[in-house]
Amino acid sequence: MATPDPDPDMTAAELALGVLDGDERAAALRRLVAEPGFAAEVEWWRDRLAALFADWPAVAAPAHLAARIEATLDRGAAGGAGGAANDNDHRWRTLAILASIAACVLLAVTTLLMLRPAPLPVRVPVTVTTPPPLIAAIAPTTKGAPIAAAYDRASGVVRIAGGVDVPAGRSAEVWAIRGTAAPRSLGLLPARGTARLAVPAALRGAMAAETVLAISIEPAGGSPTGLPTGPVVAAGKLSG
Amino acid sequence: MVGTDTSELNAARAALVEALVRTGDEDRDAFRTVYRLTSAKLFGICLRICADRQGAEDVLHDVYLTIWNRAGAYQPGRASPISWLATIARNRAIDWRRRQARTRAVGVEDAEAVPDGAPAQDDALLAVEAHARLHHCLEGIESRQRAAIRSAFFGGLTYAELAVQAAVPLGTMKSWVRRGLLALRGCLDGDA
Repeated sequence: MATPDPDPDMTAAELALGVLDGDERAAALRRLVAEPGFAAEVEWWRDRLAALFADWPAVAAPAHLAARIEATLDRGAAGGAGGAANDNDHRWRTLAILASIAACVLLAVTTLLMLRPAPLPVRVPVTVTTPPPLIAAIAPTTKGAPIAAAYDRASGVVRIAGGVDVPAGRSAEVWAIRGTAAPRSLGLLPARGTARLAVPAALRGAMAAETVLAISIEPAGGSPTGLPTGPVVAAGKLSG
Repeated sequence: MVGTDTSELNAARAALVEALVRTGDEDRDAFRTVYRLTSAKLFGICLRICADRQGAEDVLHDVYLTIWNRAGAYQPGRASPISWLATIARNRAIDWRRRQARTRAVGVEDAEAVPDGAPAQDDALLAVEAHARLHHCLEGIESRQRAAIRSAFFGGLTYAELAVQAAVPLGTMKSWVRRGLLALRGCLDGDA
C-alpha cells in the first residue's frame, strides 16, 4: 500500500543507529563535518540509544584475551601511542585487498592508497634526505587567527602550534579529511602548547596536499565513534 | 521498580572513571581494572554483532588497545563512561561485520536473536533513569517499528539487511524505522 506522506528526515538518528550504508552513509558523514546542528543531533541520539546497552547480555571474554592484549601493549610500548596502529598494520593490508569491491567510505582512504598503481620510481638527488613539510593554516570557523600546522613527511608527525577554545568537560579532536572520504582521527589537541600528533602508519599516505585538517569539539576523551560527532571549529588545507 | 541502589551505581561508576583516568597515565594495573569491569559487557556486544567468536575476539582486542591509547585524554566529565566504551565496541564490531559482509554472505539470522525488552536491573554502571525512559518510549511505538529499531541496534544491521530479515521491501523498512524514530524522539523530548 502506498504511503501518502513522505518519510520524515531522520538522517541523524539513522546515522547514530547505524542503518545507513554506501552513498547514504557517506552523505550523512559529510553532513556531520559540515553542519554543527546535525552533529549535535547525532550526538543526542547516540546518548539516548546508549541506554539500550544495559540490555546487552554480558559474556565473559576468553581468558587468553587479556594476555594477548597485554602482549600487544608490551610490543607497542616503545612506539608509545602508535602501538595499536602498528598492530593493525597486517589487518589494514588484508582489508585493502578484501575491500576491492567495497564502497565502504570508512576504508576509502586506505583502500585508494593500496589499490592505486604503484607510482613510477622518482629520481631523487641523493643529497635530499627529507621532503619539505606540508603546512596548513587551520582557520577558525567563526573568528580569530589561524593556527599554524606542519606535517613532517619523514617522521609522520603533525605539529599544531596553538589550541582552540574548548568548553569544560569536552575535548578538541583533530581530523584528516582526504577528498570525500570519511574523516580519520589524528588524536586529541592538548589544552595548551604545541601539539605533536603521530600519524598512524595506515593514515600517512592520506597526508598530502589538499587534505583538510579539521578540529572538532567532542565529548571528553574524544569521539566515541571514531568519527566527528561535534561541531567543527576550525579547518584548513595542507599544501606543499 | 528498578532495584539498583543509587549509591552502589555511583560507586561503580566512580571506580571505572578513576581506573580510566589512571589508565591515561599509562598505569597498567588501572587498565587491568578497566578490563575487569567492562570486558564481559564489551565482549557481549562484539559477539552479538560479529556473530563469530574469533572475529569478536579480534575486535575486542582492538577496542582495548584503543582504550589504552585514548584514555590519556579522558576527563571524568562524561556521565557514563561505560556508554562511551560500549559505543566504541559497537562501532568497531559493526565495521568488522560490514567488511565481512562484502566478502562472504553473513546470515542476517545470526543477529536475529535480540535481547528482550526487560530492563536489566543488575547493570550498576548504566544510568537507570535514562534506561527506563527509553524503554517506556520504545514500548509506545508500533511493534514492527520497535522490532526493526531494536534489530538495528543490537544486530548492527543496515536497512538492506533489516528488509531481508523482515521479508519486506527496502522502502517499507525505511519507512518503519524512520517513523519509529520520529515517534521515539517525540516521546523522549516530551518526557524530559
